[in-house]
Amino acid sequence: MLEATIILQILWTSLATASYYVLFAVAFALVLKVTRLFNFAQAAIMTIAFYTAFVAVQWLAWPAWAAFAAMLATTLAASYALERIGFEALRKRGVSVMFVFVFTFMVSEFVDYLAMLIFGTWPQTIFPTMFWPVTLVGNIAISAWDLPAMGATVGALALLFAFMRFSRVGQFMTGVADNPDLAELYGISKRRIFLVTMLIAGAFSALGMFLYGTRAQVLPQTGLSLMLFAVAATIIGGIGNVAGAAIAAVILGVIQNASILVISSEWQGFLLYVFLFLAIIFFPNGLRLPQRRRFVTAAREALVEQDAPAAEGKA
Amino acid sequence: MRDVLAVRGLNKRFGGIVVARNIDLTLHAGRVVGLIGPNGAGKTSLFNLISGVVKPDSGTVVLDGAPLDPLKFHQRIHRGLSRTWQHVRLFPSLPVLDNLLIATRDYPGERIVNVLFGRRRLKEHDEAAREKATDILGRMGLANVAHSLVTDLPYGQQKLVGVARALMGEATCLLLDEPMAGVEGASYAAMQRVVREVADRGVAVCVVEHNVAFVRDLCDEGIFMFSGAIMARGSVAELIRDPHLTELYFGH
Amino acid sequence: MEYLDGLIVIVGLYVILAASFNLIIGYGGLVSIAHPVFFALGAYASAILARDLALPVPLAMLGGTAVALAASIALALPSLRVSGDYLLIASIGFQLGLLEVIKNLRFTGGSSGFINIPPFLIRDFGRASYVALVLAATAGVVFLVRWIARSDYGRAMSAMRDDELAFASIGRNAMWMKIAIFALGSGLAGLAGALYAHYFRFVTPEQFELLQSAAILTMVVVGGMRTTWGPVVGALLLEALPQALAFLNLPPSVLGPIQGLLFTGLVLVFMFFRPQGLVPAQDVWRGARAAKESR
Repeated sequence: MLEATIILQILWTSLATASYYVLFAVAFALVLKVTRLFNFAQAAIMTIAFYTAFVAVQWLAWPAWAAFAAMLATTLAASYALERIGFEALRKRGVSVMFVFVFTFMVSEFVDYLAMLIFGTWPQTIFPTMFWPVTLVGNIAISAWDLPAMGATVGALALLFAFMRFSRVGQFMTGVADNPDLAELYGISKRRIFLVTMLIAGAFSALGMFLYGTRAQVLPQTGLSLMLFAVAATIIGGIGNVAGAAIAAVILGVIQNASILVISSEWQGFLLYVFLFLAIIFFPNGLRLPQRRRFVTAAREALVEQDAPAAEGKA
Repeated sequence: MRDVLAVRGLNKRFGGIVVARNIDLTLHAGRVVGLIGPNGAGKTSLFNLISGVVKPDSGTVVLDGAPLDPLKFHQRIHRGLSRTWQHVRLFPSLPVLDNLLIATRDYPGERIVNVLFGRRRLKEHDEAAREKATDILGRMGLANVAHSLVTDLPYGQQKLVGVARALMGEATCLLLDEPMAGVEGASYAAMQRVVREVADRGVAVCVVEHNVAFVRDLCDEGIFMFSGAIMARGSVAELIRDPHLTELYFGH
Repeated sequence: MEYLDGLIVIVGLYVILAASFNLIIGYGGLVSIAHPVFFALGAYASAILARDLALPVPLAMLGGTAVALAASIALALPSLRVSGDYLLIASIGFQLGLLEVIKNLRFTGGSSGFINIPPFLIRDFGRASYVALVLAATAGVVFLVRWIARSDYGRAMSAMRDDELAFASIGRNAMWMKIAIFALGSGLAGLAGALYAHYFRFVTPEQFELLQSAAILTMVVVGGMRTTWGPVVGALLLEALPQALAFLNLPPSVLGPIQGLLFTGLVLVFMFFRPQGLVPAQDVWRGARAAKESR
């Protein structure tokens, strides 16, 4: 039954569909790394992204590139608002983790209900059809969606990598991620860096939703499920480890797709929650990749900084 | 003179910084050891390593003959270790007395079954704890603030309450992290008296301090730390007189 | 009259849910969205035990509560071993995941729900007797939470919330306390579920979803965390609102989202402008004041 063709087909399809998972995971992991926030409001950003594209294509009959541009515009605007009006205010007040969580979660829920009200609860896609022409290579079906999707993802990741490595702002982001207070001492504006991070995450979320929404159906609550995938990947990949999150997203995507061989389709969605749970039980600190620092509680940081110079890493 | 706490070969580094370099240390019952050195020498880190807040890279810690290494922070406290914090860390939602009442070695109110089905046990424990807490507060001159909120107290008194809280567990080994920092006047004298009394009752005490007068008057021996290592041990008077150590201390 | 009885029962059960959630999130300081799923576990377990395993209803209800309790420990234990933040993520997975399971399993009736749940008390003593039972349970839970919060345990919880590291430094075990609080709160949610199941005699997965999670959270946040009456006020308010909305005669596809917008919008507004809620809590642990006043 398990012919090589079937395996290769599943592998190819999962790699292609892993594209959007990777984008969502990287967005979530990046925000977590730099701002130390579990941004559950990413689901709201994703929902806004999708419905903008949907409206542009299906209600306003705009071409795809215009729809994508519109999508980026609303997503970046929403990310800006979220950071400046939401998170900044909460940071100023010095609120607890719980407060931030409730806030981000409620924001996502709010946007979900808004979408439900405006667009209804039936599944939608960005283009009127989900069907893409298929070419056969050997016996493997390759959809016309696959290569552009993977290309876009790899391109976005490459851009991000180059940005983080070679640009000043990118390097500052890493600095703020490692030690925000020290970075401030060196004159780096935490405020600006947080904003840039949120905007990048927003752009990645937008691209991800564009890819997803051109291939699969979206409901108002889809953003939340997709984001949970990102959360699972972030945890398994190692908190603070964006590359790890990306790799974990690919692996989880492949596993989820391949699972069709052993379980029925209605249970595939459930698999995500199993991942999440297993991630927490077995990988609370993520799979160890070389020289990765781990997420530390504020208490320990404070203690260490009493004696060891602030410049150094943590336990 | 009984060995209460034995630290052997403790090592710890954070990235490039060595905070503990092959530390060997013994605390004896009834003796007060002063741990001195410049900032960044690793003194508080040592307390963190001994108490289990931070895990060492290598080395052992033994309390009253039993190794503490596999135990977590709160479990080590349960065994008879006790510590205070540089920044006090009292509970602002509780009055002074209650800060002490929850600090006994065993606190039956920690288990919900006791609250639901063990009223009598709670009451007995509460009475004994209140008696002890009132006694300790009295000896520190804090009897009149027992029902005040900790946030209403001046800093010096807060630090005294911190020490009082650390005494509730009847520890065999007490680690005091800069008890005198920011303290003066009546609280200063009270702190000195309390530390001496505690030691006289057989507790092994180790004090991290910058206040030289305090260390000189109170400590039976001194240990000088620098850059994560123990540079010198001896009587406090000797250590203070050593020009090399003075240079290390102030050179920073 | 039947409508009013049903309304009283629902309000009473939501007061139980809000009060027990207040125990978890307000007094325990634990963030979780998984309360409705324990409500569901209590309901489904009790229903299955009574209908398919022919257990007498009181025993089935106890069974339902026990299942919710056990499940909550299974969730909390591995998560809290790591940290409180993980409990949050795990609770999201648990809430959403378990509902998926319920929707796909045959013996829970799947998406269409579980029917013909055996009744209790009503046939022998009339509807009012069940309503009285629920009200008694409601009062019991509200005062139980109040009692715990003011007891020695409440004192410890207050300290734990203040400074967990200092809490450990006096030898207290925060992890076990959190697990106990979570288990008790979730068990009470399970009890509410069992009471729900045998009154309405029909449960579907939709009744235990994210909307209910948002609703319960809203009740506690808007009502006032860490107070006895805050959750009660919150539950009354939030159950009254949908009734008011019902008079507008909106189609169900609009009513649902509007309710959701109302709940989440309320929480957001309160969080920004009145984070203490309608019934403000004191900053100081109440047990100490009570003791002082009685001196």
